[in-house]
Amino acid sequence: MSLQTLNKIQEALASRPAELEKARAEGKKVAGWLNYNVPEELIYAAGLIPVHLGNGGDNRLVETGGRYISMMNCVFTRQITGQFAEGTDAYIKNTDAVFIDVTCKQLYRVYELINYYFKLKTEIIGVPYNFQTAAGKQYFRKETAAFAAKLEKISGKKITAESLKYAVDVYTAIRAAIRALYRIQAGQETPITWHEVYDVVQAAYYLDKDVYLRLLQELLAEIETAPVNPKVSPDAPRILVSGSVIPPGDRKVLDLAEESGGRVVIDDLWSGFAPYLDTDVKETSVEGIADAYIERHPHGSLPVLDIEQDKRLKDIKQLIKDYKADGVLFHTLRYCDCFTFKAAETKSVLKELNIPFLEIHTEYAKSDIEAIRTRLEAFVESLKSRRKIASGFIGAGI
Amino acid sequence: MSESGAFAGVDVGSLGSKSVIFENGKIIGSSILRTGLKSEESGLDALNAALGDAGRRREDLKFIVGTGYGRISAPYADKTVTEITCHARGAHFLHPKTRTIIDMGGQDCKAIRLDEEGNVTDFAMNDKCAAGTGRFLEVMANVMKVQIEELGELSLNATEVLPVSSTCTVFAESETISLIARGERPENIIVGIHHAIANRIHGLFSRVGIESDVFFSGGVAKNVGMRKALEDVMEITLAQPEGDPQLAGAIGAAILAQEAWANKKIKAVV
Repeated sequence: MSLQTLNKIQEALASRPAELEKARAEGKKVAGWLNYNVPEELIYAAGLIPVHLGNGGDNRLVETGGRYISMMNCVFTRQITGQFAEGTDAYIKNTDAVFIDVTCKQLYRVYELINYYFKLKTEIIGVPYNFQTAAGKQYFRKETAAFAAKLEKISGKKITAESLKYAVDVYTAIRAAIRALYRIQAGQETPITWHEVYDVVQAAYYLDKDVYLRLLQELLAEIETAPVNPKVSPDAPRILVSGSVIPPGDRKVLDLAEESGGRVVIDDLWSGFAPYLDTDVKETSVEGIADAYIERHPHGSLPVLDIEQDKRLKDIKQLIKDYKADGVLFHTLRYCDCFTFKAAETKSVLKELNIPFLEIHTEYAKSDIEAIRTRLEAFVESLKSRRKIASGFIGAGI
Repeated sequence: MSESGAFAGVDVGSLGSKSVIFENGKIIGSSILRTGLKSEESGLDALNAALGDAGRRREDLKFIVGTGYGRISAPYADKTVTEITCHARGAHFLHPKTRTIIDMGGQDCKAIRLDEEGNVTDFAMNDKCAAGTGRFLEVMANVMKVQIEELGELSLNATEVLPVSSTCTVFAESETISLIARGERPENIIVGIHHAIANRIHGLFSRVGIESDVFFSGGVAKNVGMRKALEDVMEITLAQPEGDPQLAGAIGAAILAQEAWANKKIKAVV
């Protein structure tokens, strides 16, 4: 039996577009955002409604988007462009302005398209090319301050010390609850699966933050006494998922990983756990928020020459350890520069630690499902064989 | 390890269906048939042909493992395992020093690394594209108006390697037609086609690395021209296995059938 709070979250999602329409009719404004480094709590503190935009998994929309950009652009970027072109998405329809940060260099250019073709108000938040330098940090502080000013202009309200504190407190509590959920689902026996938690994380794209926090707390309370989910095999190989975005609507690789007998226990996806892993606003100010974003788990969009100091790799290694992952599934979307550039490097670093690694390179068309299934089944077989050899079985593989 | 009784492996690929009967640690029968429209029937036909070759009946089999792309419709199998794991075990059986496998089948190509026990340690497969596969060679044989079996021998008579695109079957086909129209020697074009595939496969190995001995498995492994092109382009020496490299997947499946039976008994005891 599924957890009651998960049903409540689904119900809240179902009624959310109508709520947004009503709120807009009453004069409230919706700030849609894309990419990874948009300090969302500032949108909230400015009295605007934040909505994280963008879906995946729909090849029809990819084709539609391809009319506006090259077929060599990443499928996610093409699908989002297609979504804006079509204009029927319940959240895009209810967006008053779109904010995009310059993290993924393909995705941020969507702002140009949606402004030119679809006449939507768009704004850019600059992101430094180097997060480690003092100049980079300073630059992002300035960009965040400019972002806050733009938000105030759109909402017609000032971000006050009180509204900022409230927003930071709500987001901090949400992050803590998500981290708690992740710890629980990774247990040997668990009442909630990673897949369910991933869907809960993505409900945050849309729901009102106060409502969302209340639902998260309810879910955590319900889990405390909930029975173990018998579908989660305690013996299945444990997998960390990394790489390109896996947004709402795209579950192809995740479903296949589970159908192949693997159990995802952790991810560092920017559409999943990455924003919750270690974002920590130490000082309740615009600058404090900017610093928290720049110091957290980084997106794969930027080159890092010093592998030893690469926080993304360090975090992945730590997550493998903390979540007892047997192997890494590295998902790369076709023409996703950010993560296709990182795949070989990540594999090489993990190989030194004897961590099995599989890259799945795909797009939203369904034609490669069986080919991916073969790769994932073979990967799971090899993870199982490592365990079986250790337990004294004869041979390996099945 | 030798487990008494007979065990079968059935490997239904996109072009060929193969089966092997294993008994007392030895291959006692095998078959290779053309895959038909229904993969379940093709697998059963291959299994029955291998049983006939071995002089055994279906009821003599203790365990059957199905593999290959047709494993998704193999109700005759007690268990299905991917062709990647099976090729590793099969290649290890045919040539125990194997640490790297180049497997070229009808619709895909695999680079597989394995340990000294024949367990997969890493692998990579070509993307959804015919370049680097048996199907690519079929298309090219058709363009060159020769039988696919003749391609390899013809390529050995080349006087130079003509460049052919290594990225796309359709483009490579039109390039080949242009080369024919230009009056180039057919053997030089054919060797260029083999080198195009070898270059593609070389790229695949950049993801997993190469360690000797290198075993060439799959239906295309019987093509002498392809073997030579791989050795020239990748600067390797391919192992000379005893036995048919096209059967590697089915052999691996039969070995895994035997192991599964043994492990079932261990589980029953434990």
